[in-house]
Amino acid sequence: MEVFLQTLVAGILKGGLYGLIGIGMTLIMGVMGIINLAHGQLMMVGMYITFVCFHYLGIDPYFALLVSMPALFLLGVAIQKYTLNPLIEVESILPENQVLMTVGIGMVLTEVARFIFSSDYKSVQTSYSSSSFFIGEISFSLALTIAFFIAVAFTLFMFWFLLRTDLGRSIRATAQDKDAALLMGVNAQRITILTFGIGSALVAAAGTLLMPIYYLFPDIGGPFTRKAFVITILGGLGSTVGAIFGGLTLGLAEAFGATYIGMAFDDMIGLVIFILVLIFLPSGFKRITKV
Amino acid sequence: MMRKLRKITFILFLVGILGVFLASGALAEGIKVGIILPLTGKLAKFGEIEKKSFDLAFEEINAAGGVNGKRIDPIIEDTTGKPDVGRSAIEKLIARDKVVMVGGGYSSSVTWATIAVAQQRKVPFLVNTGSADKITEQGWEYIFRLNPPVSEYPKGFASFLQNVATDVKTVAILHENTLFGQSGSKKFKKQCEKSLGLDVIMKEGYEAGAVDFKPLLVKVKSKKPDLVYMVSYIMDAAMLIRQSKELNLNPKLFVGGAAGFTLPEFQKSTGAAGEYIFSATLWTPSVPYPGAKRYFDKFVARYGTPTEYHGAEAYAAAYVIADALKRAKSLTPRAVRDALAETDMMTVFGPVKFISYGKKTQQNRLPTFLVQWLNGKLETVWPKEVSTAKYVYPFPKWNER
Repeated sequence: MEVFLQTLVAGILKGGLYGLIGIGMTLIMGVMGIINLAHGQLMMVGMYITFVCFHYLGIDPYFALLVSMPALFLLGVAIQKYTLNPLIEVESILPENQVLMTVGIGMVLTEVARFIFSSDYKSVQTSYSSSSFFIGEISFSLALTIAFFIAVAFTLFMFWFLLRTDLGRSIRATAQDKDAALLMGVNAQRITILTFGIGSALVAAAGTLLMPIYYLFPDIGGPFTRKAFVITILGGLGSTVGAIFGGLTLGLAEAFGATYIGMAFDDMIGLVIFILVLIFLPSGFKRITKV
Repeated sequence: MMRKLRKITFILFLVGILGVFLASGALAEGIKVGIILPLTGKLAKFGEIEKKSFDLAFEEINAAGGVNGKRIDPIIEDTTGKPDVGRSAIEKLIARDKVVMVGGGYSSSVTWATIAVAQQRKVPFLVNTGSADKITEQGWEYIFRLNPPVSEYPKGFASFLQNVATDVKTVAILHENTLFGQSGSKKFKKQCEKSLGLDVIMKEGYEAGAVDFKPLLVKVKSKKPDLVYMVSYIMDAAMLIRQSKELNLNPKLFVGGAAGFTLPEFQKSTGAAGEYIFSATLWTPSVPYPGAKRYFDKFVARYGTPTEYHGAEAYAAAYVIADALKRAKSLTPRAVRDALAETDMMTVFGPVKFISYGKKTQQNRLPTFLVQWLNGKLETVWPKEVSTAKYVYPFPKWNER
């Protein structure tokens, strides 16, 4: 029973963070209709900012959120404005050249990080990095629990933002029908730029929250891009609620898989679920949640 | 505007081509030796420490007159830690650069893929780190290995178990699931059961790079082993230890099977949690070989960071390469192979002589050591003759520190 509960806790805590990673990607997917394959790399940049803040300026990772998120928002805005938007207007051989562009951006970010920081592994050692508290026999990692609640808070805030504010409604309108939104006077170009910025800021938050418990090196982006992709597909492309379910599902599947099947199959379990969803529930959890 | 841009690109392109020609012209004089290492990707940290050591050694060799008056020109290729990239890297070294021999070889999976090419193309390959046992079990006459195979990593540790930690009865083995971890854990399990009389109650692999090892560690905790033995690359090692602390997992001994547990980064990323962790290792600066300490000091003076066994392997390999090239009757791969086979010399990594024993051929045989992190420093604790500090055993419980 203890093993079961501990696995459940581990899965949910990890799932919350995965959800935060997924939401950024799903927002971009919804509005622009492209998969952002530099998502994990943007997270990596956010993590490096956190690292620099902590190491050189002595800023605690949780306060570094105030630095990493705006910074990544600006980076996202710049990427969308100067590299992705110009591509929409160009006649191209492939309709997916924006996606290809994101792959390139991802590589550039990785190599720039390697150029500045070398391939060294970096980590942020805070006083709470490896501390934990116990409820009964179940151990909760302090940093991961805090990360989980901040992730939940961000997710709730995103809901409020998308459902209640003008800007949020414009984003949803653009996602649902770009032409109609344009006719209603929504500046779609501005919306795409803002969305990419918000998406980047969210994944930066996930990176920053992960920093006290994880580690960092320039190639860390790739695996997280893959995870974000799986989460987005699980949740249904463009669905915010779906991304949360997708994140939780992946977190739980990985944790239970690790306990009851074997941790060597960590990645495989996530991808098997991914395939099953594609076969039996092609539009992801969106079909069930309808949001 | 567009035309101007095109013109600039064209000129840049020409300059680039010219640069390539000039560079290859300058290289043509020395003896070309290929070195393959992971310089980017997940394993880049290991590649970096080896590259620095190779650089250091080749500079010294060249400064001292090189090989019979000729310079050694190492051509270092990046494998990115992937077997397929490694294969094309070695193909390129042999076909295009026409190297007389190849050195390096980090990570078992990549080395395994690349030695096959070397053997097929009849170019000698001196492996200095790839440690899966089967690398020297093929009877391939062009493959030599400087470092002990992974099954022998815990040799020093085994004697510690027999002499000090005699109350250890049960073992849990955790390993990363590529060739290195699989090979190391399988051989250790066999050794535990056959020669050490220990009960292996759990042996499980994990995917490197995981965020959360708790599910795995909870299982370990519920089985209460006396000894937890881990075969891991670097950051997984740190994660495993930190999360063991979070779970309050208290075996009598935490032992790492070299690799990730001996790098300075391990201490940096575990902080206080890394204290008292043991690891098998192949080399420490206190080993009784001539030049070991000097190499360590030189490395620190030059690069500002400490080095460990991977670096020593590379440094020693460079000297073995130079020695073989010196003795080779001609500078052809065949002659260099024959010279390598007759190697009998002392290096900072220990005596080097390629012998056959068991299923292995052209394998160097060396003792291994046990180290422990004490007060943030990696101290040699076993065998007693070379120890720099007294071991702490059993492992102090996390919540009683």
